[in-house]
Amino acid sequence: MLTIFKLMWRNLVQGPSTEPFPFGETTTPERLRGKVAVDAKACTGCEVCISVCAGGALRQEERADGSGKDFYVWHNTCAFCGLCQEYCPTGAIRLTTDWSTVHLNQDKYTYREQVFIAHASCEQCSARMPRMPHGTIETIYGRTNPHLDTLYRLCPQCRREKAAIQLGANFHE
Amino acid sequence: MSETLSYIFHLLIFPGGLFALLFGLLLKGIDRKVFARLQRRIGPPLLQPLFDVIKLGRKETLIPATAHKGMFRFAPVLGFMGAMVAAMFIPVPGVWDGAPGLGDMLMLLYLLPIPAVALILAGSSSSSPFGALGASREMILMFAYEIPLLVVLLTVALRVGYATGGVEFSLARVVEYQLAHGSFLLDPVMLPAFAAYLLFIPGTMGSVPFDLAEAETEILEGPLLEYSGPSLAMFQLMFALKMVVVTGLGVVLFFPGTLGTNPVVNLAWFCCKATGLMLVAVTLLRASTGRLRTDQTFRFYLKYPTGLAYAGLGLTWILG
Amino acid sequence: MILKDRLKNMAARSPWLYRINAGSCNGCDVELATTALIPRYDVERLGCRYCGSPKHADIVLITGPLTTMVRDKVIRVYDEIPHPKVTVAVGICPISGGVFRDSHSVRGTLDEVIPVDINVPGCPPRPQAILEGVAKAMEIWKTRI
Repeated sequence: MLTIFKLMWRNLVQGPSTEPFPFGETTTPERLRGKVAVDAKACTGCEVCISVCAGGALRQEERADGSGKDFYVWHNTCAFCGLCQEYCPTGAIRLTTDWSTVHLNQDKYTYREQVFIAHASCEQCSARMPRMPHGTIETIYGRTNPHLDTLYRLCPQCRREKAAIQLGANFHE
Repeated sequence: MSETLSYIFHLLIFPGGLFALLFGLLLKGIDRKVFARLQRRIGPPLLQPLFDVIKLGRKETLIPATAHKGMFRFAPVLGFMGAMVAAMFIPVPGVWDGAPGLGDMLMLLYLLPIPAVALILAGSSSSSPFGALGASREMILMFAYEIPLLVVLLTVALRVGYATGGVEFSLARVVEYQLAHGSFLLDPVMLPAFAAYLLFIPGTMGSVPFDLAEAETEILEGPLLEYSGPSLAMFQLMFALKMVVVTGLGVVLFFPGTLGTNPVVNLAWFCCKATGLMLVAVTLLRASTGRLRTDQTFRFYLKYPTGLAYAGLGLTWILG
Repeated sequence: MILKDRLKNMAARSPWLYRINAGSCNGCDVELATTALIPRYDVERLGCRYCGSPKHADIVLITGPLTTMVRDKVIRVYDEIPHPKVTVAVGICPISGGVFRDSHSVRGTLDEVIPVDINVPGCPPRPQAILEGVAKAMEIWKTRI
């Protein structure tokens, strides 16, 4: 019966437990799922993230001159679920801890990320191909060496030719 | 002529009118701030109710199409005027003698239910089912809490008039008697009456646990549901004035001590005592209890405050 | 004039909040209740207060995609809010349909039907983000009252 008065006295003595935000700082947990950011150098344009996105917030459009793709992330449909980060094979798309998303309604359609994913071109035959980022080579092979790097700067056709020549050279030795 | 002017001054500026309005809004602000601190929150600034009233004065008024427009507009004005006139009759010991030529305890007994009647009129004329529900609940509640008030007033009147063998209804005489013989708070014979009055305050103010007429989560603010703009501002002012009247009456009936002869000091002391009474009877209860149902409230009021009040009356009659 | 400006400044310090649930999954509504009621994110120190009736409201917080079943009712309740008012769309559902975008019962975004002022995307947005949204809405409210 008297517990409530004890509680009230304790509350008065301890003072407010209110966070000082928006007049002061607030804490952000380390693994908070905030706004999406794309690392253009690590993205290959495989579009796995687009097929798993819950809110349909991701879009990739091939540019007319074939130099690469425009990658759009519309924050107003992103559900911050993290599936894109989970399924991206190269770790290019990740969720930052930025939770401050307030904006005016007239900026609704411009509240987005836009990055340019450049295609690579083959060193030998200059054909257009998606880039192979460093991190992906490490994921596939467990380690990397200069030989693998030079190999993956060629398009698949040139790669096959080079590998066949090397195999043939080994046979003849 | 000068007496009429003086009465008009006392009605409009002090202690009714402007002073009571500002003090009432400050009381409400103190109530909200202490309530927040009791919950470990920071709470609004002290003058927040004043900002609320000013903001409400600038919004537009929307009246439902099926409401009775005249009564809809008139209800808040009626409540406001009743509360303001009632504020004039509270004597401030050492500063103002409560217009004994014009009215006394019985006058206050008639004026105090006017805000509640205004709420009932508001609820009934707003043509919304929530309003009607709130109005009927307020009617039931009025039956419950008016009886302890009447008996407590009778007890005090009997006690003050005992020496002359009758009852003394004039509030100025009550103040004089207590200044001469010691306040009733220190007198064990009057303690049941004080307890009954303490329980009467939350009922009449409509604060938890007896706020079922205006329950926000149940009947969407009841009689006040359809009000907006300046009419709602007038209701807020009416509640503020009623708080001043009810706590002021409590101070006058039970502990009107003065601190010397300086009127400013006496006024400040009166305000402090009224604030203290409000903190105990309204804020503390608000922070620690939940809402009671209609039948629970009615049963509670018929048992405890009425019983306590009658016990006080009996004690006073027998022991003087 | 000075008195008028003073009164206007005082009036701008007390916006009352009102929530409308336009078919939401209740995630954002839980966050709105959290922001207001728990001591950690007290919204009363900004002068705001949750009110129970649309007629008392100043800042309207709308959650949920505008489903076809609730569409007319939301418009009706919105019209009962007296001018001036500020509208805040909380969560991604009213802004763009959210995760329910191409569903059979969601026919468009909220601002095709109701003029929206501030967006607070998130699913659900963090209480601090909602507080930011309310603070920004208060700035707009100051110019309208």
